[in-house]
Amino acid sequence: MNDAHFEPKILAFCCRHCAYAAADLAGGMRIQYPPNVRIVEVPCSGRVEVTEILHAFERGVDGVMVAG
Amino acid sequence: MAEERANGYKSGSNLEKILRAGHFAVTAELGPPQGADPEDILRKARILKGVADAVNITDNQTAIVRMSSIASGVLAMSEGLEPVVQMTCRDRNRLAIQADLLGAYALGMRNLLCLTGDHQSFGNHPTAKNVHDLDSVQLIRMVKDMRDEGCFQCGDAIKGVVPRFFIGAAANPFGDPFEFRPYRLAKKVAAGADFIQTQLIYDIPRFREFMKRVVDMGLHEKVYILAGVGPLKSSGAARYMRDKVPGMIVRDEYVERMVAAIKGIPKEDKKARREAWRKTGIQICIEQIQEIREIEGVAGIHIMAIEWEEAVRPIVEGAGLLPRPTVE
Amino acid sequence: MIVAEQKPLAEIMELLGDARKVLVVGCGTCVTVCFAGGEKEVGILASALRMMSKLEGHPMEVDEATVQRQCEWEYIDPLEERLGEYDVVLSLACGIGVQAMNERFPDTLTLPGLNTTFLGLPEEQGVWEERCQACGDCILGLTAGICPIARCSKQLLNGPCGGSQNGVCEVDPDIPCAWQLIWERAVKLGRVDQLLEIQPPKDWSKSRDGGPRKIVREDLRLVEAE
Repeated sequence: MNDAHFEPKILAFCCRHCAYAAADLAGGMRIQYPPNVRIVEVPCSGRVEVTEILHAFERGVDGVMVAG
Repeated sequence: MAEERANGYKSGSNLEKILRAGHFAVTAELGPPQGADPEDILRKARILKGVADAVNITDNQTAIVRMSSIASGVLAMSEGLEPVVQMTCRDRNRLAIQADLLGAYALGMRNLLCLTGDHQSFGNHPTAKNVHDLDSVQLIRMVKDMRDEGCFQCGDAIKGVVPRFFIGAAANPFGDPFEFRPYRLAKKVAAGADFIQTQLIYDIPRFREFMKRVVDMGLHEKVYILAGVGPLKSSGAARYMRDKVPGMIVRDEYVERMVAAIKGIPKEDKKARREAWRKTGIQICIEQIQEIREIEGVAGIHIMAIEWEEAVRPIVEGAGLLPRPTVE
Repeated sequence: MIVAEQKPLAEIMELLGDARKVLVVGCGTCVTVCFAGGEKEVGILASALRMMSKLEGHPMEVDEATVQRQCEWEYIDPLEERLGEYDVVLSLACGIGVQAMNERFPDTLTLPGLNTTFLGLPEEQGVWEERCQACGDCILGLTAGICPIARCSKQLLNGPCGGSQNGVCEVDPDIPCAWQLIWERAVKLGRVDQLLEIQPPKDWSKSRDGGPRKIVREDLRLVEAE
C-alpha cells in the first residue's frame, strides 16, 4: 500500500435510477473515469447488504462505494 | 425470659423497654470495619456508650464487605452497648438467615432490623450474585413466626430455646411511589415489625406528610417509629446526597446553610472549613430533631453519623436527650 | 422470545483457537428476529472470521449454514452429513441451540458465538428488554401484569425498596422501577388491594433453584404399541 504507484481497486454499487444512470450518461458524453473503479448495478442502493460489502473486501478490493 | 414474657415484653431488649415506657428513644449507627480488628468496633462503641439506647450494626452496608454484623454486635456488647443487628436479604437465603438468627440470639442479641439491602452493584463486589430469597416483608414475618409461633419458616418447630427478637424494619418516606409508602409500612407492621427506622430525613415537610398518612392509618399505635437523622459533613456531601443518592431528598435550604457555613473562611484553611461545616451539620441535626419530635407518631430518632460517631453525643446532648433513661 | 447478542470477535477467535475449518451455524428463530444469529449475521461473522484469520496469517476456511430452529432435532439432523469435514462448529443460536448441536453430534464440538441474554421483547426497533425469568410459578396475576421477578433488580414481592425514586431503579436510571409500574397500573385498574396483601416467600423450587427442570406430558408422548 506504500507503493507510490498504488492504485486502489474500488467497487461501486450504483443505484439503477441515479448513480448508474449518471455513469451511463457520463459514458455517453465520453467523460472518462478511472478504470480501477468497477461498477455493479443494483436496483436500489438500499439493496446492498453488509455481507456483499464484506465479500468484496474478501475478494481483494480496497474500497467500496455505495452510490444512490 | 419467662419473666420478660410475664411483663409482656416481646424480647426484653433495652430498646423495647425504653419505647414501651414511653420515652423518646435514641438509636445510633455503628459501621463495622473493612478489616478484622476488634478495636475498630470497641473504639466506636466507647464513643457511643451512654448516648444511645441501642446501636445499629450495619450488615455489609452499601454492599461493601465488612465485619459481620453479629460478630461486631458481640464486640459492641462487651463494651456495654445494646446492638440492633441489621440483616439484609441480599446476601443470605432463608436457611442462612435463620441459622444466623439462632446464633445471634444465643450470643445475646435482642434487636433485629430487617432490610432488603442495597444492590450489590453499589459495592465492592458488583459482579456478585445476589440472593433475595426473601424480601424484607417476608423476613419480618419469618422472624416474628420464629418468636411467636416457635417455628422455622418451613413450619418445623424450633427445638428448645426460641429466638425472641424485637423486630425492626426500615421505611423510606422519600422513595417513590410516595402513595404506596404508607401502605408498604402497613405491610411491614402487619408482617410483625415492632419498630421502624426511617431513611435519613432532610425534607421535613415531606416526612410530615408521610407521618400524617401513617397516623391516619393508625400505624403509629401499632409500631414505634424512629425518625432517621444525620449530621451533614460538608456542603459537598449535602449536594452529593441531594443529587446522587437514590431514595433521598435533601432540601436546598440545608445545602445552602452548609455553603454559608464556610463563608469568609479561606479555601486553604481546610481545618477551619471542616470545623465550621461540622458545627453547622450538628446544629442542623439538633434543630431537625427538635422539629421532628413535635410530629405526631414519632417515638424516637435514629442517628446515622456515618464514620463520624463523635457527632452523636453533641447531637443528643444538644437536643436535650441526655442522660438516657433506664427502665428496669 | 430469547434475546441474545454476539460475543466480541476477539473472544470468538480465541474460542476457535487453531481450528482450520469452521462451520458457522445460525438459527432462523429467536436470534434471527433479534439480529444476533440469523442467516445474515452468520454471513457477516463468517466473512469477518475469514478476513481476520487471513490478516493473522493463518487463513481459516469458514462455511455457513442456517437452520430454521437449532433447538429441535429434526431441524439440525440434516447437518449431520456435513459435519465430518469441520474441525469445529460455531453456533450462532442461543445456549439451547448450542447444546442441542453438542448433544446430537457428540463427535463434533460446537462452540457458542452468542451470549444468550434474556427472555424479552423488542421494546422498540433496536431495543430489547427482559420480561420473564421463567421462574416456573407465574405471579403476573398478582402484580398488575408486570413481573417483579424479571423487572425488579431485587425480585421483591411486597413492594418497592427504598431506592425507587422518580420512577427509576436505584441500580440504573435507565431501569424503570418495576414496583412503580405495578403500582401505577394497579391504581388504574382498581386493584390496589391486591398489593396490600403480604405475599409469602416464593417457592423457588419451581425455578432453577429446584435443579434443571423437565416437563413430561404423557398425553403427547409417542408410545409404541406393545
